[in-house]
Amino acid sequence: MSATDEHAELLPTASARRTWAVLGDGVRRSGWGTPLSLVVVLAGSAVGLVAPWTLGVMVDDITDGAGLDAVLRAAVTIAAAALAGGLFTGLGAWLVTRAGERVLARLRERVMDRVLHMPAAQVERVRIGDLLARVGDDVAVVTTGIARNGPDVVIALAMVLSTAAGMTALDWRLGLAGLCALPVYVWAARWYLPISGPYYARERIAMGERSHAMMGALRGRSAVRAYRREEEHEGRVSDRSLAAMDITVSVFRLLTRFGSRLNAAECVGLTMVLVTGFWLARGDLVTVGAVTAAALYFHRLFGPMMFLVMNFNEVQSAGASLARLAGVVDLPEVAEPEHAREPQDGSVRVKGVGHRYGPDTPPALDRVSLEIAPGERVALVGASGAGKSTLAAVVTGLRVPDTGEVHLGGVPLADLGERLLRGHVYLVSQETHVFAGTLLEDLRLARPEAGAAEAEEALERVGALAWVRALPEGLDTVVGEGGHALTAEQAQHLALARMVLADPPVAVLDEATAEAGSAGARRLERASLAATEGRTTLVVAHRLTQAQAADRVVVMDRGRVVEQGPHERLVAAGGRYADLWRSWQGSA
Amino acid sequence: MFKGGRAPRPGRDGRVSTPVPPDVRALSRRTLSRNRRDVACATVLHSLHQLAEALVPVAIGVTIDQAVATGDPGALALCVLGMVVLFTVLALAYRTGARFSVRAVENEAHLLRVEAARRALDPRGERSGLRAGELLSVATSDAEQASLYVRAWVGLIAMGTAITATTVALLAIDVPLGIGVLVGVPLMMFLLRFPAARITRRSEAKQATAAGATALATDLVGGLRVLMGMGARTAAADRYRRASGQALTASVSAAASNGVYRGMVSAAGVLFLAAVAAVAGWMALRGRLSIGELITVVGLAQFLAEPVQGLGIVGQVFATSRASARRLVRLLTAPAAVAPGGRPVHAEPVVALEGVSYRTLRGVDLTLAPGETVGVLATDPRDAEALLDLLSGRAVPEEVEAGRAAVGGVPVHELDLAALRTAVLVEEHGATLFEGTLRTNLATGTDRGEEHLHEALRAAAAEDLVSGHSLGLDRPVADRAANLSGGQRQRAALARALAADPPVLVLHDPTTAVDAVTEEAIARGLARARADRAPAGATLVVASSPALLARADRVVVLEEGRVRALGTHTDLVRGDSGYAEAVLR
Repeated sequence: MSATDEHAELLPTASARRTWAVLGDGVRRSGWGTPLSLVVVLAGSAVGLVAPWTLGVMVDDITDGAGLDAVLRAAVTIAAAALAGGLFTGLGAWLVTRAGERVLARLRERVMDRVLHMPAAQVERVRIGDLLARVGDDVAVVTTGIARNGPDVVIALAMVLSTAAGMTALDWRLGLAGLCALPVYVWAARWYLPISGPYYARERIAMGERSHAMMGALRGRSAVRAYRREEEHEGRVSDRSLAAMDITVSVFRLLTRFGSRLNAAECVGLTMVLVTGFWLARGDLVTVGAVTAAALYFHRLFGPMMFLVMNFNEVQSAGASLARLAGVVDLPEVAEPEHAREPQDGSVRVKGVGHRYGPDTPPALDRVSLEIAPGERVALVGASGAGKSTLAAVVTGLRVPDTGEVHLGGVPLADLGERLLRGHVYLVSQETHVFAGTLLEDLRLARPEAGAAEAEEALERVGALAWVRALPEGLDTVVGEGGHALTAEQAQHLALARMVLADPPVAVLDEATAEAGSAGARRLERASLAATEGRTTLVVAHRLTQAQAADRVVVMDRGRVVEQGPHERLVAAGGRYADLWRSWQGSA
Repeated sequence: MFKGGRAPRPGRDGRVSTPVPPDVRALSRRTLSRNRRDVACATVLHSLHQLAEALVPVAIGVTIDQAVATGDPGALALCVLGMVVLFTVLALAYRTGARFSVRAVENEAHLLRVEAARRALDPRGERSGLRAGELLSVATSDAEQASLYVRAWVGLIAMGTAITATTVALLAIDVPLGIGVLVGVPLMMFLLRFPAARITRRSEAKQATAAGATALATDLVGGLRVLMGMGARTAAADRYRRASGQALTASVSAAASNGVYRGMVSAAGVLFLAAVAAVAGWMALRGRLSIGELITVVGLAQFLAEPVQGLGIVGQVFATSRASARRLVRLLTAPAAVAPGGRPVHAEPVVALEGVSYRTLRGVDLTLAPGETVGVLATDPRDAEALLDLLSGRAVPEEVEAGRAAVGGVPVHELDLAALRTAVLVEEHGATLFEGTLRTNLATGTDRGEEHLHEALRAAAAEDLVSGHSLGLDRPVADRAANLSGGQRQRAALARALAADPPVLVLHDPTTAVDAVTEEAIARGLARARADRAPAGATLVVASSPALLARADRVVVLEEGRVRALGTHTDLVRGDSGYAEAVLR
């Protein structure tokens, strides 16, 4: 079983009804495009009826001893129908794809919008893998479903409809005979649909676990070798591969049984048409040609019906992905307060804040109070798990504490609203992410309207301009996933430069400078001092030199503030911080 | 015929060793031969199915001719019976044939997947030159694509059979007409291939734009927390909307070219039908064809397009499966990176580097005896990498230009690899944790009891991982430990190394993601844990952390590949300004 954090929760999946509603909403918004495309596709498939019909007429004409002109007339009619059919089919396929793609584009944009604007508390709760799967895999599955199969599905459906109409037009009894296949199709579908769904779901899970095992083993190759766990991992890959294979084979068995039932439907329909045609022709109610046309019509349906059925799993999985996307669309939006108040200054006030991550875990924050004056630089010091990062998250509004209040510039966080809050306080976190794209685009995320000159200014301020200029294409170098790889230090530099561009009054820094190595750490410390100059700054100190450079040091232990004061005073006072400082210096 | 029956199934035993195919041909041959039963059955049945499909229009023609046109109920009964038999054969042939082919494909994919994984995980390493990402795609998608060779092969024969059968039927009805149809259909398909190839290329390029939008989405969501901290969520949403809009434009224009192609195919097919109808109708007028034969000829002409088109698809499948097979063969036939010997490791494994020049290292001397702790400060990360390569037995002997690296007096490359890795554990920087639980991860290197694991966690200052979680040691660890913080991951990996308790432990930057207070605790815990070991363990710490280096018996300073200084941390701090500059922070 794939391991998941039990604190994490899955995003909602919409019900079938709700999924249709979301889809219908998209179709309505797309205006005339959808109905027009359907009309054209129907016209195309109706034109497709001309050829068999004409062949039937030709059969009658020949039987009645008509001349060459009848044959030529038939051939010309079919040729004309060919041209018209080609036109309508091509146009229809394009229109259907266009309509589908438009609906889809709007849907994926809405999904992305909702995901990006999820309330901070929810982001902490949901599994990042789930989010990635929705905006990545699900969107891709639905896109493929619409782009590759969408037109074919619509065209096949239109063909079924128009053919049924055509047979009825030949003679209502022939149409009725063809309809005899319908109950068999329905019987097959009612057998298949309910049992296949869970199989496909299981297959997807099994395939996911298979690739997990493979990726885990290959990405961790050197650890696997160091611990001599090659056989264990190979065995896991093999087991999961076999499990997935078994499911795939049994799903397929089910599909072939379904296929046989559909062959039965074809057989019943075709036989009924021929038998009915036989009696009608015997009674001179229809001509032999009409029976021929009806049989050819029915035979023409084999392809589209099979196509619809054999691609059902793709339609089904596109449907499942669609439901997962619709579930995201229905996520609640972050409510902006009705009367948002602008913060008065850069002050920060934390009052009696307490927070726990779980009911039976010790408190991460225990009645913490802290006031930071505008422009003041405060460093948080403490062991892992002392609550430093939690406090940083609470101050930035990314975590809502169980108890207590946080005021920024004299305004409670709740009254600020997301927009004002994000313009006011900026977090540089331990997590570094270099966004894929050019370096300039990465920087512009912090301030979209910034130009290259401003970006360079920001880089200059944090001392990063030199290495950026040395990159193959300077600011236009593609970085991030698949691009030029930046070092840990460069990524952190970039994060600081983004903050300079955003220019927030309050800066919260929780960076891991150590990854950059000792020389890099020193450069980064200088960079972050430069980047936060003139801002109210809360630093989670990973190095004590960061604490030394602060106006005030706040020492935390097990969620509480245990000491605070300027560096020199704390060192002189001989408490915990003094011990720490001595041991740090002694060891150094 | 599908359940049970066949025992033992191929591939049930993941360890069956087959000779490595030297090239793509051999790989393909092996694919067919090791699935020969399934492939043979699938081929026969698929061909039968195609024949039955070809006979459906013939059967319609015969029924019209013999029954509907004559009004003879006896003939009708016979025709209906024939129709039922035909459909039964058709359905059964498809059903069983498809099962055989899917089983062959899946089984082959499984075998290739496991084989690729085994090769990639081989303790001796491999010299395929594939990057990590490529390796993953070889073991996943290429293994699947290559196995489609089976499907292509089955398809080729089945389509061939269908075309042959249609040919025979058409020629039996009328030779010139048959030849006309047989030349016309492939010619039409051939002509349509030119626009098809161009359109496929163009639409692939456009699909890439759509994929780009998806990549942007996952990238932005991957950095969601960073975006939140930056207040850049709206900017990110705007950026995505633009990319999505571009993808939309691209796919709509791709759809336009696809639409043109579709229209052409449809029109060409029906135009061809018009031509056949005209000729066959004229022949029927002249009495050369009966009405039933006319219908059959038209039906077969329409049917023929399917297998001919199918052959085109089969060609594509052959091409993709060959490309994947090529990459697989490259991995499978890659020589091992090292050729280890079989010598055991001495009971007192003294690690000694004597004048070693390897990669960036130049004449490096270093010894590490049991009970000792040696620190290494490497200003160039490549020096640290080279050192770790030598000690983990990854270094290719031919690349060692001078000197030797030995453990217990025996050169590393002469040692048995498993014995070496049991004696010397190299825990790399950023080493991966595995999906499972904290317990399964910690127990990776040991089979000792629970208390031992707790001790290791304590030494790594990682007890909060257990105490802060209701499931304790059984807390789940996600793939790549994505559910742990960077600091937690690093401490858990260190605890794993300490739990393995090897005679020689090599650590690389084990405390970069923790704060000063925790680093201090780890340095203490590490020293105690290694000293408590009986016999006392040897520890090599490659780091720049003063807390760790201060506890080493001596520190080796590597600069530009050479040992620039050697001494205790305290002496170096006092006497070596360069050293002080590098570690003081």
